[in-house]
Amino acid sequence: MGINFAANKVLASIPYLLGGVWITLQITVLALALSTVLGLLLSLLRVYGKGIFHRFSLIYSRLMRSLPLLVILFMLYFLGSEIIDIPAYWAIVLALAFHSAAYQSEIFRGAIQSISKGQMEAALALGMSKYQGIFSVILPQALRRAIPYWANEATIVLKDSSLAYALGVTELMRRGEYVSARTSQPMLTYIIVGLIYLILTYAFTKSMNRIEYKVRIPGLER
Amino acid sequence: MPKPILRIENLHKKFRDTEVLKGLSLTVYEGEVVVIIGPSGTGKSTLLRCINRLTEPDSGDIYLEEQKIEPGKSNFSQIRQQIGMVFQDFNLFNHLTAVQNVAIGPIKVKKMDKKKAYDLAMKELERVGMAEKAGNYPAELSGGQKQRVAIARALAMDPKIMLFDEPTSALDPELIGEVLEVMKDLANAGMTMMVVSHEMGFAREAADRIVFLEDGVVAEEGSPEKIFNNPERERTREFISKIARLNSGGDDRGLNNK
Repeated sequence: MGINFAANKVLASIPYLLGGVWITLQITVLALALSTVLGLLLSLLRVYGKGIFHRFSLIYSRLMRSLPLLVILFMLYFLGSEIIDIPAYWAIVLALAFHSAAYQSEIFRGAIQSISKGQMEAALALGMSKYQGIFSVILPQALRRAIPYWANEATIVLKDSSLAYALGVTELMRRGEYVSARTSQPMLTYIIVGLIYLILTYAFTKSMNRIEYKVRIPGLER
Repeated sequence: MPKPILRIENLHKKFRDTEVLKGLSLTVYEGEVVVIIGPSGTGKSTLLRCINRLTEPDSGDIYLEEQKIEPGKSNFSQIRQQIGMVFQDFNLFNHLTAVQNVAIGPIKVKKMDKKKAYDLAMKELERVGMAEKAGNYPAELSGGQKQRVAIARALAMDPKIMLFDEPTSALDPELIGEVLEVMKDLANAGMTMMVVSHEMGFAREAADRIVFLEDGVVAEEGSPEKIFNNPERERTREFISKIARLNSGGDDRGLNNK
């Protein structure tokens, strides 16, 4: 009985932790898919929308960015349970999505507004509709510009998915807690958990860099 | 009497407290090349932008042939696509190659078959001498090359009239000639053109009529000989001699030294 024995028990739990990675990734991908669509929509309302559409986007963004993610999570989980029962898994997916959508709407808004006004004017002068101008001319350029900032936000979503442990969803962080309790080796356990998060974010950032390079516009300085 | 292509009647435009256009009227006839000159701030660019409604005028009517240009009307986009526009800073679509830049209008607006649109785009690029750079992105082209592609992009829509908003003002001096050359070819081919430019060499050689804009109205107009050599108004004379000095030594730059 010694430190080695306890450490072995932690190491033997790695497959169990990796099972949590799968759930972490599920939550992250679902939340990102939802938040990207929502964020993009909000940014378009913000830039091109008039009246209440513009205002809705603005207020949504302000509100969501003012609340701690954990508060949004608990609101969805507990307040939601009084009207419709939202399972913990979906509570974290939705909380992450609603929260991140606000930040992403700011990212996309900035990217859209960074495209020079002349681009839309040239599209309109050709006879394109505003809608065509947005989708054929503005977004293809703006989205390319948004990639590094979006990728950064995506890693934040990945890491924030660990808040799901508070609702008992057995993703990576929650499983780390179990392992730590069972083996009485919190430090070693969380080092391993941390390393796994590090590997995930590193791999993701690397692949986004590659994508950014692949879709870059030749000759254009960034 | 040639038929009018563009008729502008009593155009007014105010930006906040500054009245830029003060009841401007002007008619451009088929095949005519009208060069618009005038001091900065007299509304030359605003005039062009009001024609295809990139800027909304406060009052006044504009007709393309018999059709009134009115946003919100069902045929507005159709009218707009018949008015080609070339901008000072090119405004090529940065994410598209030269040939894609030219083809996108016919594809998106005229719903032209892609293969046909690319054939047409190559033809237009050849016309402006840019066929070799068809696969290049705007950022890989020089200013003069960009502007030639921009001209091809406007031509691909088969416009009834082409508007040029200071097409050479953003260019290095040695690149101006190639753009003016293309514009001169267009003029010779019978294209109706409205050109805001202070390139006197071009105006002298290609313009049918010079319009001197001042204070938001047409102050004086006439043939290049009349305006450049024998203007009626003192103010016109002053202005001409001012831009002549700026153009000095390059009065016909790029047109003969190619």
